Amino acid sequence: MDIQKIRQDFPLLQEGGGKKPVLYFDNACQSLRPLAVIEAVERYYREQSACSGRSMHHLGEAVSHAVEEARAGMQKFLGAARKEEIIFTRNTTEGINLVANSLAWQPGDVVVLSDKEHNSNLIPWQMLARRRGVEIRVCPSLPDNTFDLEAFQKLLDGRVRLAAFGHTANLDGVSVPAAEIVKIAHRAGALVLLDAAQSAPHRQINVKTLDVDFLALSGHKMLGPSGTGVLYGKYALLEKMEPFLVGGDTVASSTYTTCEFLPPPEKFEAGLQNYAGIIGLAAAARYLQAVGFNAIQKQEEEINTFLTRELSSIPGLKLIGPADPRLRGGIFTFYIEGVDSHRIALMLDQMANIQTRSGQHCVHSWFNARGLRGSVRASAYFYNTLAEAETLAASLTKIRKVV
Amino acid sequence: MFCIVSFIVLSILGIFSASNRRLAREALDCVFRRLTLRPCNTGFDEKMKAKILGVVITRSERAAAFLNKRFEVLAWIFFVILMASSIMGVRGLYLFYTTGSCEGLNSPNFCVFDPTGANNEVSSSGVCKANQESQAPLSLEGLDLSSFPERNPDSPDQIVMIACYHCEYSRKAYPLVYSLAEHYGANLIFLHYPVKEPTDYFSRLAYCVYQADPVKFWDFNEAMFSGKKEQLDDPAYIQSMLTGLGLDAFGIDNCTSSLQTRQAVDAQLKEIARSGFYGTPTVFIGKEALVGPKPYRVYAIALKGLLYWLK
Ligand SMILES: Cc1ncc(COP(=O)(O)O)c(C=O)c1O
Repeated sequence: MDIQKIRQDFPLLQEGGGKKPVLYFDNACQSLRPLAVIEAVERYYREQSACSGRSMHHLGEAVSHAVEEARAGMQKFLGAARKEEIIFTRNTTEGINLVANSLAWQPGDVVVLSDKEHNSNLIPWQMLARRRGVEIRVCPSLPDNTFDLEAFQKLLDGRVRLAAFGHTANLDGVSVPAAEIVKIAHRAGALVLLDAAQSAPHRQINVKTLDVDFLALSGHKMLGPSGTGVLYGKYALLEKMEPFLVGGDTVASSTYTTCEFLPPPEKFEAGLQNYAGIIGLAAAARYLQAVGFNAIQKQEEEINTFLTRELSSIPGLKLIGPADPRLRGGIFTFYIEGVDSHRIALMLDQMANIQTRSGQHCVHSWFNARGLRGSVRASAYFYNTLAEAETLAASLTKIRKVV
Repeated sequence: MFCIVSFIVLSILGIFSASNRRLAREALDCVFRRLTLRPCNTGFDEKMKAKILGVVITRSERAAAFLNKRFEVLAWIFFVILMASSIMGVRGLYLFYTTGSCEGLNSPNFCVFDPTGANNEVSSSGVCKANQESQAPLSLEGLDLSSFPERNPDSPDQIVMIACYHCEYSRKAYPLVYSLAEHYGANLIFLHYPVKEPTDYFSRLAYCVYQADPVKFWDFNEAMFSGKKEQLDDPAYIQSMLTGLGLDAFGIDNCTSSLQTRQAVDAQLKEIARSGFYGTPTVFIGKEALVGPKPYRVYAIALKGLLYWLK
């Protein structure tokens, strides 16, 4: 991977127009976008700009074709068996809500979550508990925040319908052993949903090999346009599920009192879709595949190893997650006792144009359970360089001396 | 406290940039919350503190550490300084508006609104210099001005102007004072004071013109203050000017050299010197003595108050 060549593809990493390039370490929130994606989106607006699947004119046909190509692209990206298993959504959150609202729940059904789920994989289940009498069980992590398979196994009984886990946690970058989880859950008759918001951008996923039932991801964290996402679901399951959002494009026909739903994925894609976004997302997936996930992971690991080595010696700095950087992907989350995390993030921005995320990262439950106020998260991606990591480490060392 | 300081500073900076205006709005929200004793949950103070620290740390870590530790105290100090300088600024602006000087009437100290000090410049010599040194307060109390030229003796408003025909600052002030007196029908009492030695003659000339014709005296005065001041040194010009005004130039010339005139003028000059004035132009309006060529509004405010333009 020629990182300097890759960086050329990202406008925000370029100097010019009086602007300094950013040192972008907030990739877990959204990634930067390469020209290939920006241009794909622009091309849609410039050259197509019409509806998909509805209009017979040649523009409409071109869009339908592009969207189906994008679906096939995402099928390939995730290793799905059929492209009909790919449902376009606005984001991971929508994908999870779709599953929560579309499966046929019975009162007393159980959903198992980990103790550090993003609100997007917690609140939909809380709503379900409130409305349908579903029970939530929280599977505690090991002391170093890694997944506790044994504890998980213990939670499984005949009532568990679904285990929904963040594939990689946005809190600390720790990934769960998805293949084992799926095996254990299936054995206990439970389905598995993976929140792949933080994994899909960073590692090769093959839903068939994993045998996972549902998987949700966000396009904007993997170079795609904002407000794009995919929900993968096994076709047999999708077929049986009631759609969540309904309306235009979800039905084959309707009378005043009845309707006939289209098969998946159409029945889940209600209303006019974000065609530009979908096309851009497919371009992003192609870009990532061209770079290659091995190279991506290698670069992130190198950066995180460096950061961990440099920052762990800062007095009072507390790392969240396991000490071994290889278990934390590209994420380094920490706090300094007695120092507001927002202050650190703002100072980094002011000092060296370093963008990090501060606060509770939508994992309030984890912080509240531990009485912690917040943390700073530096999340790297393959276009980050060691030089940038050095600047980050040097700036943090300086800040520590002052605050 | 920091919110309040920021709000003031950012509001001023907001004149120049939209992003500062946005921050000023955040600061205002924070101020409002502080005033209603709620926590500043906009996080504004924390945000600004971090931004300031982020800038300072790149220059000096020690300064940043100090700032971090003493932030609230420093904000207080800054606030007090800011308030004091704002109050002084507003006071200065008010005083400048009403007196033409930032620090009060006739103050020669530097004033940003009148950087060259033009409003307080005077011509002085002789008696004036002595008066200036004695620093006695200027007052007309107990003075007998009955022999001085006056224009509208029945008016309740009185303006007494001591000026010098040959002096730049007097020439600047006279038309303003004259038109003020005209506008409000005030009684204008005028005396030429020869701060420049060779202009003694003008005192006698003015005296004689007034004796000859108290009405035409004011036309004469106007002629003396307008035109080029070098012309005043030319006797032929004076002659023709007097004639032009329909005055008896010959008779006036005789009058100026008479002993009686000299004595009368000396008496006038001595009398006015007792007022303590130290340079021309000096304009007495009510109890105030305005020294130097002030803007029109300053004379008008002295005569009719702040709302002179309504009267
Ligand atoms: C682990 C995880 N799950 C879900 C989400 C929600 O993603 P989105 O806001 O794109 O729906 C995020 C976003 O940060 C995330 O990190």
